[in-house]
Amino acid sequence: MNHAIRLSHITKRFRLIQEMPGSLKAAVLSFKRPPVKELLALDDVSISIDHGETVAIIGRNGSGKSTILRIIGRVYLPSSGEIEVNGRMSTMLDLGAGFHPELTGRENIYFNAAIMGLSTAQIKNKFQDIIDFSELDDFIDTPVKSYSAGMLMRLGFAVAVETEPDILLIDEVLAVGDAEFQEKCYERIDSFKAAGKTIVFVTHDLEAAKKVASRTIWLNKGVLQADGDTHAAIEDYLSHKA
Amino acid sequence: MIDELRELFKYKDLVKQLVIRDLKVRYKNSVLGFFWSLLNPLIQVATITIVVKYILALDIANYSAYLLVGYLPWVFFQMALLDSSDVIILHHRDLLKKVYFPREVLPLSSVIANLIHFGLALVVFFAYLLFYYFFLHGSPIMPTVLWLPVLIVMQTLLITGLAFFLSCMNMFFEDTKYVLTVLLNVFFYLTPVMYVAELVFTKIPEAHRGLLYKLYLLNPLNMLTDAYRKILLPPFHATRMRGEEISSLPLDYAMLGVCAVVCLLVAIAGYRFFNARKWQFAERV
Repeated sequence: MNHAIRLSHITKRFRLIQEMPGSLKAAVLSFKRPPVKELLALDDVSISIDHGETVAIIGRNGSGKSTILRIIGRVYLPSSGEIEVNGRMSTMLDLGAGFHPELTGRENIYFNAAIMGLSTAQIKNKFQDIIDFSELDDFIDTPVKSYSAGMLMRLGFAVAVETEPDILLIDEVLAVGDAEFQEKCYERIDSFKAAGKTIVFVTHDLEAAKKVASRTIWLNKGVLQADGDTHAAIEDYLSHKA
Repeated sequence: MIDELRELFKYKDLVKQLVIRDLKVRYKNSVLGFFWSLLNPLIQVATITIVVKYILALDIANYSAYLLVGYLPWVFFQMALLDSSDVIILHHRDLLKKVYFPREVLPLSSVIANLIHFGLALVVFFAYLLFYYFFLHGSPIMPTVLWLPVLIVMQTLLITGLAFFLSCMNMFFEDTKYVLTVLLNVFFYLTPVMYVAELVFTKIPEAHRGLLYKLYLLNPLNMLTDAYRKILLPPFHATRMRGEEISSLPLDYAMLGVCAVVCLLVAIAGYRFFNARKWQFAERV
């Protein structure tokens, strides 16, 4: 039983930030702690994803889609429950995540790779592939802070896929690309699937989910509402909305 | 902790890149580059020398050398702590929310960047010493200079431990940096930077002198400052205002050993403190 990703009974509570003493003064002065407001972002969610699966996560805003992706990506620790991830992960949890705004595109390829735990030597071989895929030759020596959202997405996606991870996590970023580049991304995802890699992506684009994912997870207010065949899950989701 | 260290080691290239970036950004757009950060301590040392020698009229031969040798490690201590205490909030809050990586690389790379500075400052200090010996005394650099790497390792451990603690505290209480600034101001005067530790020694009542002075040296800042001075410079000659002689004490190697243990414990404690809380940072920024 070797899953790519296994979440068992994951619960995530966020303490609402304005209730926290932000300074020593506030901490000292609040003899009586104010009642801490908690937000239940994920409520006892269990999911197993096998190697080679492509899974879409759908749901309304605030349903816990991004939270679950961040828990898989080890950015947040769950409040309770266990996670197991087998394989090297590449994450694209936001536009420009893992890029430094002051550095150029070229320097950022190295920086981003280092953040993913790759050495400079490992990334050197992939360098040209990344630039080719992103089609950013003309801007590669420009600081990333002057990139458009679409350009950030191109570079981020290129680094994420060309470093050949076993598992790819994508949070809704593909939407900012133009139609042509999106098509290229989905083609790349297809070849990724063919190579037996695992992909988990959060999306509001149900057509994209239908096109790419064989399995879809629908989260509603932190609760796992449906998990299974994409078309069935999406139908459920749409009928629930109406 | 061993697992954490192993994971950290995998990310050594990230530390390297962060350090290089830190040094690049600091010297970008300034013609004199590195010399700006050297100029500051030199001007400080010149000012304090003038105040002590001519206004307070303390007679210590070659005071500026004894001051500089204490001041450069102090600058390392001060700058590394100030930089690392808010490095996460100031420069890397976006990264925390969006990518996994061992959080400790951030304070660590601030400390390393400052260590490199300190190394460069020491090179200049040695140039100064050579000039000074060659033209004024003709005596060579002392063999005790071989202790220098040991002292640097000890000080770096101390700073790293404190940097972990402070950068973590700063994620929960943003006043940490202000408290730190105040404490650094106080400790600049409490640490024997502007004066020699022997002055403190003579102030302790004779009955308890041995024990209390050892307690004084238990503070790694006091011990290290004293040790840097003693391994790099010959014993000083000084007279107080009323003509009272102050004699130089030999380096207390036993206490230096104790100090090494203290530095190591601070490093381990700071790292554990940081590790126990580092995954909450993403929810705090």
